[in-house]
Parts: sequence; C-alpha cells; structure tokens
Amino acid sequence: MKAIHYINQFFGQVGGEDAADCKPIFHEGLVGCSNILNSMMPHVDITNTFVVGDNYITNHTDEALAEIFDWLDKKEFDIFFAGPAFMAGRYGVGCGLLCKAVSERYGVPAITSMNEENPGVEEYRRSCFIFKGGRKATFMKEDLEPMARFAEKIATGQQLLPANEEGYFPRGIRAEIPAPDGRMAADRVIDMLLKKIANEPFQTELVIPKTDRIPPAPAVKDLSKCKIALVSSSGVVPFDNPDRIQSASAQKWGKYSIVGKNSLPAGEYKTIHAGFDPEAMCKVPDRGIPVDAMRAYEKEGKFAKLHDYFYTTVGTGTTQNYAAKFGREIAADLKQANVDAVVLTAT
Amino acid sequence: MRLEVGSFKVKDIVFGDKTAYSGGILTVDKEDALRVVREDPHITDADLVVVRPGDKVRLCPVKESVEFRCKVSGGQGAYPGVTSPLGQAGMGRTHVLSDVSLLAVGKHWGGFQDGLIDMAGPYQHYTIWGDMVNLVLVADTDELFEQREQQKKNHAIRWAAMRLAEHVAECVRGLEPEQTDVYDLPPLPDRDEKTKALPGVVYVLQPQTQMEALGYNTLVYGWDGNRMLPTFMHPNEILDGCLVSGSFMPSSSKISTYEFTTNPMIKRLYSEHGKTINFLGVILSTLNPKMEEKVRCVQMAGQIAVNLGAKAAVVVEEGYGNPDVDYTAMLVELERLGIKTVGLSDEATGRDGASQPLVSMNPATDALVTTGNVSQFYELPAMEVIGELEALARDGNSGGWEGCINPDGSCVMENNGMFCANHISGYSKRTCADF
Repeated sequence: MKAIHYINQFFGQVGGEDAADCKPIFHEGLVGCSNILNSMMPHVDITNTFVVGDNYITNHTDEALAEIFDWLDKKEFDIFFAGPAFMAGRYGVGCGLLCKAVSERYGVPAITSMNEENPGVEEYRRSCFIFKGGRKATFMKEDLEPMARFAEKIATGQQLLPANEEGYFPRGIRAEIPAPDGRMAADRVIDMLLKKIANEPFQTELVIPKTDRIPPAPAVKDLSKCKIALVSSSGVVPFDNPDRIQSASAQKWGKYSIVGKNSLPAGEYKTIHAGFDPEAMCKVPDRGIPVDAMRAYEKEGKFAKLHDYFYTTVGTGTTQNYAAKFGREIAADLKQANVDAVVLTAT
Repeated sequence: MRLEVGSFKVKDIVFGDKTAYSGGILTVDKEDALRVVREDPHITDADLVVVRPGDKVRLCPVKESVEFRCKVSGGQGAYPGVTSPLGQAGMGRTHVLSDVSLLAVGKHWGGFQDGLIDMAGPYQHYTIWGDMVNLVLVADTDELFEQREQQKKNHAIRWAAMRLAEHVAECVRGLEPEQTDVYDLPPLPDRDEKTKALPGVVYVLQPQTQMEALGYNTLVYGWDGNRMLPTFMHPNEILDGCLVSGSFMPSSSKISTYEFTTNPMIKRLYSEHGKTINFLGVILSTLNPKMEEKVRCVQMAGQIAVNLGAKAAVVVEEGYGNPDVDYTAMLVELERLGIKTVGLSDEATGRDGASQPLVSMNPATDALVTTGNVSQFYELPAMEVIGELEALARDGNSGGWEGCINPDGSCVMENNGMFCANHISGYSKRTCADF
C-alpha cells in the first residue's frame, strides 16, 4: 500500500516558530521523521512528505486545504499519516483537521498520534485514528511505532481490534466483539458485582460519560432592576452571517448589536441552523431570538434594560467541548457588561 | 423452597417407534408427537425435524425455544397457569432433558418478534442453539387475524411447543436421573448466621411487558406481565416454569422460555450463595411504556430491595430503546438507596456504531455488562432453510427489510433479528467495545 505523510515546519526542517507561517511544501520524496516511519513498515510505502507551517494550517485552513487537495488529487495513496504531534497544540489541530479532511475526501484511513492533553485529541478523535502519544519529541520513535503497526495491519488485512487494544483514542464508535476468554455474561456480571461489593476496582463494559452538573444561579430578586441579555443556539444571525458561523457542528459564536432595533426583521436576519426546517424562523427571526417581545417588556418596565447585543450560535451537532467553551466565553462577556440575567432560547 | 432438577443428558435426537430416552439418545415417535401438536385445531400444518451443530441449515422465523420438562412431583405441570392448572412452581422434583431444546418455527409467516438461527457458518455460535441438538417443530396456523400483522401473538405455535416439550419429557418421568441439582433456598430468617452475615443480593429481572394489548407479554403463572406490579419471587419459581416468554420486542433482545427455566444468572447466584453472598431472591419487575408507570415500578422495586436488606443487585433488562429508561432508572434508584448494582443489557449503537448506546444514561450506573449491539450488521452465507427465509424480509422482522435476501439465498440483517442472540438471560459470550 502507498501512503503520504504530513508533518509541520519544525519536523519538516524548515524552521521553528519563525517558519510557522510557511505555506505547503510538497516533497518528491521523504523528509525527516517520514524516513523512520517508512522504515517500520514492510507493506506500506510512504511516497511523499509534505510540510505545512502550524500557523498557516490553523489560521488559513481553507487556503491550505485547497493547495493540499490540488496536489493530493494527482497522487495515489491508500493511507494518510500526520504527525506525531506530541503536546504541540497547533500541530495537533493541524494533524487532526488534515486527517479528517483527507479521509473524508479520499476515503482512506488517516492515522496520527498526539498526547492526551493535546487539544487536537478531543476535537478530532471521532474523525480519525489518533494514537496515544508522548508529551514531547523525545517520544518520536515510540509514537511512530503504533502508527506503523496499525498501518501494517490495514495493509495486510488483519482484524483491527478495539481502540484500547490498538492504542488509539476511541472514536465514539461501538461494535460487538467476542467476550474476553469467551466468558458468558452471567459470570461477567457476578464477577463484577463481587468486586464492587468488596470495593475492589472493576471495569464496566459500557462507560457512561460523566456529565458536568452546573448548579443554576439563584433566582433574580427584583426583575425591574435587571439588565437582561438574549443568548441563543437558534442560529439566528445577521443576513450575511458575517462571522461565518457553521450551520452544524459550530466552532464559533457571534455577538451582534441590537441598539435601536425593536425586532429582527426578515431579510436583515435569518437562521443558518441546519437542524430543523428554517422557513418559519427565517420569516420571523424573532421566533429564534425574541427581540420584539423583550422590547415590549422593556417598555412596560418589567425589567430595566435589554442588553445591547445578542449572542448566537448553532446547537446541532456541536460538541459538548465547544458548547462549554462558548458558554464560558459568553458568560465572561456578559459579566463584564454587568448583565444580571439571560433569556436562553434553544431549538 | 427446595427444588430437585433431575437431568438426562441428551447427545442426539432420532425418530423412532416409541418416544423414549436411553443411553443419551432421545427417540421421538413423530406421529405421536404431532398428534399432541394438532390438539389445537388452529395448527393447520406441522412437521418435526432434528438439527445438529454444524448442519448447514438456517431456521427462520423462530418463535420460541423451550426445554423438555416434566413435573414429577410437588407441582402442577411444566408451565403452571399456562399449559396446566395453577400450582406452585419451584418445589418438588422436575425432570429435564438437558443439552437439547425444542425450537418452534413458522412454516410461513414471521413478524417483528421472530428470529433466525444458523446451525453452521460464521453465526453458528451467536446463539446457544447453534451449539446443541434441537428438535424443530415447523408449523403453520389458521390465525389469519394476525397473518399480515407485524406483531404476532404466535399463540398456537408457542402453546404447541410447550405441550410438545412436556409430552416428550414424559418419557423420563419414571427414570432415575443421571444428575440431580438441588436448589434449596430457605426463607430469609431461617438461613444460617454465616450466610446472613454475607451481603444480601437480589436479582431484579425486568421482563418485557410493554405491550398494552394482552397476549404478547411475558406471562407470570399465566398472568399477563403488563397487568402486574413488581413483586418478590423465589428463584426456584423461575427455574420451574412460572415465566413464559412473550411474543413482543425485537428478537435478539428477548429471553426465550428455555432461558428462563435454565437461567444461568440464577444458577451462578446459587453457586455464590453461602460463600460470597446471601442470595435473597428475585424481584420480578416490569417494563412500561409510560413515564409514571416507570417511576412507580422503580419506586416499588426499590422499596422491596431495601426491606429485604439487599446490599447489592443485578438488574437485567429484556429489551432496548424505550425500556432503557426503566433500566437506567432502576439502577439509579437502587444506587440512591445504597444498593450496589451491576446492570445487564444490550446496546443500540446504530449501523455506524456512533449512536448513544442506551436511550437513557446516567453516570451513577458505573457497572454495566453488555451482551451485543442490536444494530450490528451481519452478512450470512446461503444455507438450506427450515421455515421460510422470506419472512425475514417480508413480515417486518426487526432485523430484516425488503431486499435483504439475495437471489442466491445469502442475506444481510441486523443483530435485531437473530433469535434471542443477545442472551439477556446471561448466556451471551459477546460484548461491545469502543473503536
């Protein structure tokens, strides 16, 4: 099988931070750690290395992908490699986004490696095989080995084992396997129960993800003195969607002024949400972010003031991590603006 | 309560002049056996065949599996309140033909709740029946009211199977069993001090009882489980035929009547009793469609567990989807009451494996055993069929769909349609893992 390998400016021998803006460099052969990786795989042949600067891949992703696709379209390859990225945050994100984009476009398995603390793990582990890696480049050989071993298994048609046995971060996919040692469920249940009774460690077969429980803020005492803001996951944005918030799996939120506005007129605002039929909300954007009703209550004196901005994003497909990040960022902004309470509209 | 189960190990089943057991061979007088099947005039066609592990045959649509059982003394019959008058199950002596089962297969029509069994090939070991010799009743009925219905009560064929199994097992009534297992669990206050000092464990069984219409749910002494509330039972009652499997729910998540009476979870709990635990008994709970019913049921079962002095519980859900809510709620409530739990169920992670495995999830459920994925995609090679393979595609089988059968007889399906394959009773040798 043939493979192509992406590495960053540092491992691609272009330079350090000063070279982080470097545009894609497409090599005819192999550079740097690609040689080590290639030497580990008798059945996989890495034909080319390409190098992209960390800033360029993360800040100019669309341009970088266009250049890379233009080059990859002319190549034949069965497997895509990126990294390893260790703890390097921008490099990890670069590896993740390239693995996702390349495997989606070309339908090939994409393999990379990162340390568990690399932000690229949480963002991209569902989209590719991210092997568990060391914290820094001294782990280069150790981190390349499982990537190579896995690619060899693919190349030789061997059965791929569960994530924890292969050594990659689970991709959010569950499938049937034979029980270890062929042990039947009744015995697995009672073995687990006896351990649990004895306060000994045990391993559940289905890990239920922990959910953060945030205690609700105390109730507002006097509404008439409150400054209230509108926050929404309805995807209502100014008509041209100036911040290009994604219609699904949002990675951004927006903040837009409503100074002097008594409603959000159709034609000036719309929803970009891809999780429901948008017709009714595009016709009356206040159905998503009720500026009209809030202005009416404001005039009545039900509360003191409507905050000058609304905050918006799209809920559908958005990961919990991004949602939590948006929440923290928006809350900080609201706090700074002395907002007392929020009407949060969801869809 | 003390139950003696005398077993006669069957190595093979053959047809002959007289139904008899000798030296590990069960001989069945076919005509005599079919007469018992045809006692119900609704049976319009019936035949018997024997299938053995490794035979390249596919059974479809499978409606039920029962053990050959005969109540020798201390009770009213193999399935009291169903095929015999009501009587206490779980006492006296029962004789069984072990290592074999009776399978009931529709000659023509299947449905949502019916399943498929392969006796050879890549899926032979996905069900326990692929590893044992089975007598197969293939029958048709005149139950025209449900012939084209996706949900079938399958009454005539299921009852015929119970009658037939009991009839065949009569041949060992007077024989001395090769092995006798004694299930003796005294009333709670009568147990010895050493046992009483061990942590009390209850088996909380949530059989499938969600169908509002009667005739489809698990029967408890002949009573439709949809019309009951959680109750405390002796494990021997379950081992002795008080539960009869329903005819509702995707097949792979069901517990067959064979599995209720041979329940491996109860047997393991018995083997731990007096050594590591004090097996208090069974809380027979229910699964319910409505939220208030779910809450009431969980609350009542929790109360029973607390007042029995349970320190730990095994919770088992027959089904998936909506009843996951009952399952998770039961685990959470017992944990809240200070009772340590382990849950047993299957998962529904979708064809791509990326969906949430249970409809309801709660971090308090920290000890779960999983027996399969109902949406796992299976590719089955062509095989000789007993029954009608088209039932998988045509009749709304939960794991089949129109076009799932290829012209050469090979087919594709979801785990959903493999007969009781996730073995919620505890037999499952599969699990799920993250990929």
